[in-house]
Formats: sequence, structure tokens, C-alpha cells
Amino acid sequence: MANPLLGDTPGDTHLLLGNEAIVRGAIEAGVQVVSCYPGTPSSEVPDTFYRISPEGKYYFEYSVNEKVALEVAGGATLAGALTLCTMKHVGVNVAADPLLTLCYIGAPGGLVLLSADDPGCHSSQNEQDNRIYARIAGMPVLEPASAQEAKDMTRDGLLLSKKHNSPLLLRTTTRVNHLRGAVKFGPAPDPGKAEGFKRNPSKFVPIPAFSRPMHLALMERMEALREEAENSQYNFVTGSGEYGIVCSGISRAYVADALENAGLSDRVSVLELGFSYPLPENKCLDFLKSVKEVLVVEELEPVVENDLRILAQKNGLSLKISGKDVLPRNGEFSVTMVENIIREAMGEAPVPACECTLPELPMRPPNLCAGCPHRGTYFAAKKVFGDDAVYSSDIGCYTLGILPPLQAADFLICMGSSISAGGGVARASGQTVVAFIGDSTFFHSGLTGVANAVFNSHDILIVVLDNRTTAMTGHQPNPGVDKTVIGDNDHPLDIESAVRGLGVTEVRTVNPFNQKKTLAAFEELKALSGVRVLIAKEPCPLFTRRVYKTVAPQVAYVAESCTGRFECLDRLACPAMYKEGGKAAVNPILCNGCMLCLQVCGHIKAKKRGS
Amino acid sequence: MSDTKKIRIFMTGVGGQGTLTATTLLAQTVLSQGLPVTSGEIHGMAQRGGVVESTVLIGCKSPKLGIGEADILIGFEPMETMRALPYLKKGGLVVSSIEFMPPLSVAMGKQTCPTIDDIKKAVSACTDKAYYMANQSIGLQAGAVQSGNVAMLGAVCAAGDLPFGPEALEAAIKANLPAKLQAVNLKALELGVAALNA
Repeated sequence: MANPLLGDTPGDTHLLLGNEAIVRGAIEAGVQVVSCYPGTPSSEVPDTFYRISPEGKYYFEYSVNEKVALEVAGGATLAGALTLCTMKHVGVNVAADPLLTLCYIGAPGGLVLLSADDPGCHSSQNEQDNRIYARIAGMPVLEPASAQEAKDMTRDGLLLSKKHNSPLLLRTTTRVNHLRGAVKFGPAPDPGKAEGFKRNPSKFVPIPAFSRPMHLALMERMEALREEAENSQYNFVTGSGEYGIVCSGISRAYVADALENAGLSDRVSVLELGFSYPLPENKCLDFLKSVKEVLVVEELEPVVENDLRILAQKNGLSLKISGKDVLPRNGEFSVTMVENIIREAMGEAPVPACECTLPELPMRPPNLCAGCPHRGTYFAAKKVFGDDAVYSSDIGCYTLGILPPLQAADFLICMGSSISAGGGVARASGQTVVAFIGDSTFFHSGLTGVANAVFNSHDILIVVLDNRTTAMTGHQPNPGVDKTVIGDNDHPLDIESAVRGLGVTEVRTVNPFNQKKTLAAFEELKALSGVRVLIAKEPCPLFTRRVYKTVAPQVAYVAESCTGRFECLDRLACPAMYKEGGKAAVNPILCNGCMLCLQVCGHIKAKKRGS
Repeated sequence: MSDTKKIRIFMTGVGGQGTLTATTLLAQTVLSQGLPVTSGEIHGMAQRGGVVESTVLIGCKSPKLGIGEADILIGFEPMETMRALPYLKKGGLVVSSIEFMPPLSVAMGKQTCPTIDDIKKAVSACTDKAYYMANQSIGLQAGAVQSGNVAMLGAVCAAGDLPFGPEALEAAIKANLPAKLQAVNLKALELGVAALNA
């Protein structure tokens, strides 16, 4: 049976994750090409496309990084294909180079870039507001606030992009990507074939002589898109009153609930901007003139707020505009936070505060899973280098090695930086550097770092933590994997050959669960200088269970002879281990059978799983 | 939307426990009753043994739930029930597990968890309407430890604060779970309802 997301079943209602709703919207628009690099909170968009791709009528790929994904998407739209490209907010930084020029070149087939922003840093290294990218690049912005809108705006954004030959930014935030709601389906027509590339160098090759008119064309396009925003059904006013609120994105949901909770829906005018850029100036001006005071409710940067301040100043309006003076510029909003600002402005008492007082509870920081091969690699690295090396880290599950007792992450900049920034530390200080990078990250942007390190003769030990998948974001394939959730990888790339091809001569590959060999390889590479690579290769246990459908046949247990020194717990911090009655113990349900602990303490033994 | 009585449910547990699957099942149950539902969840780092928080909101637009806003708090792990108490509205309904999943610092003996009595005391300062159950044991009794979550959902449906009862959850299980998981979860549902009335 076909997946419901692919069916031409208008009128059906399904409970969908925001990210699934985006997939459906693209299918309703007739999407022909989808490229991506996974990143939370965007990951379920490409994951869903991938899972249903055997039945879908689109081309889908996991590209090696966001720049490549957007370039693939750029080529596809130039070939006339209706195209979606997905990534998380920080991924847009990687793709910024093609992005800005693509907005000059245009999108003949239509091109929507999904940027999943993460206010509150739920799973990210920063909170950047990518609506600002839209202003630098010159692209319209749609900001959904519900599952239904995530679907509708993806569909309408793709069609609008094609109509205006303009790349369009679909800007979501974590709460939109990961909400679930009812979504009513529209028709899902057969997308047919892309029109094909039509040669026209003056439109598509941005040499300076052509770029100058392209910039003019871009500005004209934005004016046409401003007209679209003026008339868009996604920009509308509700309620009435002299106190006004302008809101965009998920803040629209917070404002709606806050007004209902406070019983103020009838006394406040609200302008919701779902199509928030280019700013519909006439609509906003009419609104500003209709109220005495306005509050702008938007998470992160004062983007709409500044637009409105400029608009008011240009038009000689003197009404009070507030926003970031009363609401925070960091983190997420909540209904109560918004409600209290509105209550105060309307002269009402705030919502009673919670009186509940709690003792300090133990935290539950995320940890490397039981049986994670990275634990073995970090354990060996620390045994050989101790605190004498600087540990350069990268983006992935393995960043969790920062926590005690492993403490194997001293600094981190961005995807792929462990090798290049590690080289910088070594060059600047002469300190010993061990750089850790995952397999997916290695292909994302580690390769260029290796080339740079070899070319510039950096003195660095690079450890590729190859767990045969992209574990952090949910086991997406990368060029190195053998198997994926929907089948084999036809062209697995070999990391060892790749680094050798880049000129590294000292390369070792080990299984990190074999501590003896791993320690020996670390010792051997420690004694050498220049660029050295250790590949610690062993699949992620969760991936093994899910895709290889196998579990280790044995689990660890602590023998009666345990002397209660707890070296195992104190040094490995495996979540399957705990203290019980003065002795160490292993929870057989959580144990993934990696047998690393057996190599740390002789009082830990193996037994058959389930015995 | 405004004619639907708003009900806000906060769910919390430990990554890998099945909290998100339970959240989706409850949201599907609400939707199947013809009620407007929004549900929210946080993924990512939480999956690696961190705290997982999710929401099911009836008649609301926001997928998020603030301090003091929850009508119902479902805690799949007792310490997480306690941590989430500030979200509960005074006098709201609490359904909590009593079986601990100690965080690493506790497993390593560096910190201690509150006792079940500490937790019950903290809850009773916020509400009189609280039910406790051994959800993992009930799950194992039904046939799979994860089905203990469904037992807790069954208890919530039976507690009378929702505009539907356990039979709505039963229908949602039949409509949404794969056939091979249905029997275990239907059994868990039955045991959960019984545990509430015990």
C-alpha cells in the first residue's frame, strides 16, 4: 500500500509531525527534486522523503553537506525542476555562498530552502535567526505556525517560487518542526518530468557584467513579491482594539492562546504575518494607523520589529512600538510569558505564579549510549594522551564525550572544524592535538581539512570515529555506509583510501572495542609526527539493532569477586552500569554487549544474553 | 476552537522510554474524537538518556506548555514527575510511574534520587488528584515493557478528566498500532485501568 503522504486523496485528514506536513506540502506542489543535509530539527523532512522514496515520483538525495545540497538544488531548478532543499539553521551558513548568488541567478523551476531554526538551542550550537539571511540574500520568507500551515506553506512557497523565479525561504523553528497536528490534504498531482535546462548565459552565469543586471532584476522581483505579501492569505488581522500585536512564526500560536486565556481576544487587534518578508508595507501601515500602541511578538532577533520601526518613521507615525524591550532576544517564548506582557499593557494583573518549590534534583545529561564504540576510542585516547593533548572536537553524538569521566572535547567550532581548527592550535602553540571527527562529518567537511593539514604540514593526530552511519540525527546514510534503512549503499566510499588519497601515509584502522590494539595504534601514532589518521571503526549499536537486525550475543555481568573499587563506573560511565550494595552491577536490558568493561576490570565477565 | 474546553497535558520521561510514541497515540486518540489537537515534542539530544518532555493540547494553538498550565501531568519516571511539577496547574491530575530509572550520577553513587515518599509529598502539595503505578512491571505483565506507557494512558483516560474514556484509547490502538503490537497494548490498557481503580 502506498504511503498516505504520497496519495492523491484530497480531503483526508492525518495527524502529522510538522516535518511530515512539509513533505506532504511538497508532494502536493509536485516536487521533483529534494536534496538535503540532515540536522535536528529538520531531519524528519529528508528522512520521510527517503523512507517513501521507493514509491515517490521525485528524486531524493542525502548530499554530503549543505553547500553541496543547495548546489544540487540550484542545478535542479535551473533544469526546470520544482525543488526543495532542507537543512538546519547552521547548515545555511555552510550553504551561504551558493545561496546569495542563487538569488541573483533565480529559480526557473522553483526552489524552496527549508531552514529549521532552533531558538533555545535544543540541539544546536547557536540560536541564529535565519530570517536575516533572507534579507541579505533577497528571498521571500514564509513562517508556518501549525502542522496545517507547514503543509500549505510548503506547497504554496514552491509554487510562488516558480512563479517569480525566486528562491524562497521556508523558515521553521523547532516547535513547528516537532509539533503534531491535524492536516487536511489537498490534491497531489503527478509532477511529471522537469522541463530541462535552457541555455541562457546572460541569465545564469554571474560574471560581473551579468551580475549587475541580475541584482536589479532581484530587486524588482522582491517588489513583485511584496505585492504578493500584501495580498497573501497568510497575512491577516483579527480582533479589534487600540492595542495592537504584530506576530510571526510560532509566536502567533502563543499570542492566540495568551489572548484567549486572558479573555482579551476582543480588546486587542492582531496582525499575523505568515508571509513575513518582503514586508507587506501597506497592510502594516494600515494596521499601525489603526492602533495607539503595538507590541511585536517574534522569537530571537527584532527583525519584523525593526522593519516596522522603519516603516513608522518613514511615514511620520509616532505610536509606541515595543518588542525586544519587553520580550527576550534569546530562547523560546511561552504562552504565559506573552500573556503577562499583554496583561500588563492592558492594566490587568499577571497570571499567578507557581508556588511549587522543589529540592535540587539530579540532572540527566545526555550520555554516550551503552555499547557506543566512541567510549572505547575516547577511553584509549585518554589512557595514552591523558590531559597532555588538546582534544579538538566536532559535531555529532561523539561531542557527548565532553562529559566526565571521558572529557574528550576541549573545543568545538562547527561541522568539520576539528581537523582544521586542531591544525590551527598545533601550528600556533606546538601543543599535541588529537582531533576527533565522525564519519558523516568527515565527508561533510573533514576531507578539505585533511587536504589542508597535509598541504600545510600540520602536526596532528586525526581520529575518525566511524560508526558506519550518521547517528546523532537518526541514522541517515553518508557516503561511507554499507547499509541504510531502505537498502544497501551501492557506492560505499572507503575512509582509509580517501585519507591515503589525500596524502596521509600514516593510517591505522582499529575496532575500538579491541582495547589492546587500539591502545597500541594510539601509542604508535603518538610517537610519529605530521598528519596521522586513526580510523576507529565499529557500527553504532542502535543502528546495528535497527538496520542489521542483530544484537550482540553476550552481555556483561559483574562477578561475585567484585571488590567495589568502581573503576569501571568511574572511568567508563556506561549507562548500563550502576552501584548496588557496595558492588558494581550491569543492567542486562541496557547492556549492548560491547565488552569494553571486561577489558577494564577482570571482575566483569561475559554471559549469554538472556541467561 | 474557543468552544472546545481547553485541556493541556504534559508528559515526561527518559529518552528511549517510548514517551514520544505514547504522546502520538494519545494525540491520535484526541483527534479520533473529533477534537482539535496540537502536540509538541523535543527530539535530538534528549534521545541519549536525557529528559524527554512532550505535550498534548486539546483546543489550543500552541504546541508548548508553560509553568502552571498543565491540567494533567503524566510522568513515565517518578523523578521526572517531580521535576515537571511546576508545569502542573494547582489541583490538576497526576499519573506517575513509581519505578525509577536512575541517571548516571545516581547510578555511580555520586548523587541520590528522592524517594517515592518524597515525590508523593511534593505532588500532594500541588494536588490531591494523583495516581501512582508500576508501569514497567505492568508492561512486562502485559507482554512488553514499553506497553507500560499505554497502561498509564489507560489510567489517565479512566480518571475522568478527559472528554473521553479508555474505550477511545482502545479504538486508537486498534486503528494506529501495527497488528502484532495490538494484543499486548490492549492488555496493558486493561491493566492500567484496573491499576487506577485498585
